[in-house]
Amino acid sequence: MLVVDGSQGEGGGQILRTSLTMAMVTGTEIRIENIRAGRVKPGLMRQHLACVKAAQAVSNAKVSGAEVGSTEIVFKPKAIKAGEYHFAVGTAGSTTLIFQTVLPALALAEAESRLSFEGGTHNFFAPSFDFIALVYAPLLRQMGVEIELKMTRHGFYPQGGGQWQAVIKPAGRLSGLDLLDAGVLIGKEAVVTSANIPGHVAVRELAEIAKQCKWPEEVLKSERVESMGSGNIVSMRLHHECCSEVVEYVGKVGVSAEKVARRAIQAIRRYQAAAVPVGEHLADQLMLPMAIGGGGVFRTLKPSLHSQTNRDVIHLFTDKRFEFEGLAKDLWEIRI
Amino acid sequence: MKTVAISLLGTVLDQRGRGKKRWDKWRPTISLCQQEDLLIDRMELVFQPHFQRLADLVTEDIQRVSPETEVRHHHVEFEDPWDFEEVYGSLHDFSRQYGFDRDKEEYLIHITTGTHVAQICLYLLTEANYLPGRLVQTSPANRDNVDAGSYQIIDLDLSKYDQIASRFSREHSEGTIYLKGGIETKNKEFNRVIAQLEKISINSEDPILLTGPTGAGKSQLAKRIYQLKQTRAQVKGRLVEVNCATLRGDNAMSALFGHKKGAFTGAATQRAGLLLEAHDGILFLDEIGELGIDEQAMLLRAIEDKNFMPFGSDTPVSSNFQLIAGTNRDLFDDSRSGKFREDLLARINLWTYRLPSLKERIEDLEVNLDYELERFAQKAGSLVSFNKAARSRYMKFAHSSEATWRANFRDLNASITRLATLSDGGRITQAAVDDEIMRLKHDWSAKSQEMNPKAITAKFLDDETHTKLDLFDHIQLTGIAKVCKSAKSMAEAGRILFDQSREQKKSVNDSHRLKQLLAKYGLDFSIFK
Repeated sequence: MLVVDGSQGEGGGQILRTSLTMAMVTGTEIRIENIRAGRVKPGLMRQHLACVKAAQAVSNAKVSGAEVGSTEIVFKPKAIKAGEYHFAVGTAGSTTLIFQTVLPALALAEAESRLSFEGGTHNFFAPSFDFIALVYAPLLRQMGVEIELKMTRHGFYPQGGGQWQAVIKPAGRLSGLDLLDAGVLIGKEAVVTSANIPGHVAVRELAEIAKQCKWPEEVLKSERVESMGSGNIVSMRLHHECCSEVVEYVGKVGVSAEKVARRAIQAIRRYQAAAVPVGEHLADQLMLPMAIGGGGVFRTLKPSLHSQTNRDVIHLFTDKRFEFEGLAKDLWEIRI
Repeated sequence: MKTVAISLLGTVLDQRGRGKKRWDKWRPTISLCQQEDLLIDRMELVFQPHFQRLADLVTEDIQRVSPETEVRHHHVEFEDPWDFEEVYGSLHDFSRQYGFDRDKEEYLIHITTGTHVAQICLYLLTEANYLPGRLVQTSPANRDNVDAGSYQIIDLDLSKYDQIASRFSREHSEGTIYLKGGIETKNKEFNRVIAQLEKISINSEDPILLTGPTGAGKSQLAKRIYQLKQTRAQVKGRLVEVNCATLRGDNAMSALFGHKKGAFTGAATQRAGLLLEAHDGILFLDEIGELGIDEQAMLLRAIEDKNFMPFGSDTPVSSNFQLIAGTNRDLFDDSRSGKFREDLLARINLWTYRLPSLKERIEDLEVNLDYELERFAQKAGSLVSFNKAARSRYMKFAHSSEATWRANFRDLNASITRLATLSDGGRITQAAVDDEIMRLKHDWSAKSQEMNPKAITAKFLDDETHTKLDLFDHIQLTGIAKVCKSAKSMAEAGRILFDQSREQKKSVNDSHRLKQLLAKYGLDFSIFK
């Protein structure tokens, strides 16, 4: 049985999720130890448990240690089973992370799958539904998987309760990805999404973007959405010929609207300055489908500790190993 | 293991209207289901029937924030939620009809909602194990924000709390131990000895002889007799204790009986002596068998006549004391071999009691262990106790055949002192007990090695000879080796060893005889030097 040390590198939930996905796709039995050893509350939190349970359902796996607080699990997957699944997670736990855990497996299954999700959709420390829809899914489509996504309700921290659906039509085999250049910029927008908060928040956030970035009025959008609790997120989006990038920052009580906007501006400026196609978070997310598919190469910002850890964990399951090559301070090439 | 929460519906705190704004307010029952590190598999919501609408809303909201949680409703009937009897009764009924399955489920009793009376009732029912779970309390987030707040689990098993456990043991000691005036021993023989001793110490001023192995508690008992007499106002004087093994030569005489100024070199001032110090009190002479013959004679006179001559003095001094003597030797043997005066033995062998060894009264070990802990606490000023597992491990070893308790209660005292001193925050842990057991085993095996003739002869005999010899030879050689080691020369060693037979020989060559004897075992005198 393959043993994965959950305390290596960034020592967080990503090691768990990457291991689950790789185990399902390669049919490897694994034991993950020291889960989230580096965190204040170590072990499985509810959102991680939800990922384990989702992976278990999809691969009909035999699992032990799947409890809140558990620091070790054994996961023995069987054949991937396409079908209809409903995944729900409390505490506004991220549903997009569950989606990314099971997607590569279902993308290689024999038949179409229909997934419905319930929980958090716009969280800290996780891609938002918008990011999945605008950035991640289009590239996976390029690799051959057909993905349809539909949002019915937003779920913000801490109430969650968001709802969305996905249809995955498998590819048989994931093709390679070649993303050295983003191509010409064909559009941009700044979108503030809010639920149940005073209207001035969105106005101030957009004003800050207009002032700092000199983005024209027509690309600044404010959307009020239906949600159980209150929520606010600033999303700045750049659409290029070959790919899109979305940077986001979640607003919360006690942080001024201007500050929330400035955090998003900071991130988009770093991306623009580096002139690479793939942003920091997307880099992490692309590695898995590339490793199990036809490989490929992309240019991105300086790899984070998350990316390095992800590389090491993926390498446990496959002979192939990602190369990280630094061309300039914030210009790197990642290939496999 | 499933986690099941039992919560009263908060008719105030869970009641925040039906509008969107309710999501911005802290609602305890809902917040309990929103903790990232606590998954409530089932929520048992307890409420009065007329709050059904609120219960439905709370249920719906719980299922939204925590789709993993199943919610079940329970109606309770109480008219007045501040009426203790009524609330306790209905919650008690709830607990009796619930059907807890502790093998498959663990229970959390949420006490943040409900009236204070209801909270008290939940506490009482949990404490009495009618609700077999742990209490859980929720609290709002520190700042006025939308966070889900936090929770604390409180386990009412008090033995798990060091501070509280220490407090309990203190109260216990103040009560029972003090009232019973000592240790509640179980050993029948020992208890019989004590019962009789108590009578005698009250009714008699004659000498008492306490025998028994070292560390059996002879001097402790002497102290108790003294204290008992003191409480009955039968002694005015002091308890004077001395171990006779520490009294040697001129010093012995003067220490016991005192001396006049200038009685001998160094006697610069007058000294009263221990017998005089014990006037109207008790003199406890431990290891009386070690006392020199001259001192024995003086002592006998002092007991019989109540007076004696201080060293170098012509005038007798009188002292009225009761003698308690202790010994771990067989004084009858000693008197036969002339080491102990027969007349003195006859005088003190009136009330003779043998104290059993710790091994012989092993059933008293546990109470003595508590006693030692208490004693340590009094000395150190802080309370020390075993955790449950550590205590049972220690007791198991203490009763095992491996535990020889060679020095009896002295070993127990030393062992507990070590454990207590090394304890962490007043709690003795399993790890500490394991270390202590290793230490005791080592000590006892080291001591038995010291006494074991085969182990001693192994140091100087070659292996082949060593295995061939009888135990008889080993014992004999052990003694020979001891003499050889302390003698200055082979001739001196020979003189000591052949002290009788050499008298009959016409020509004596002690060193030659010894040389021949050693040669039999392939030994040479030089190896002892």
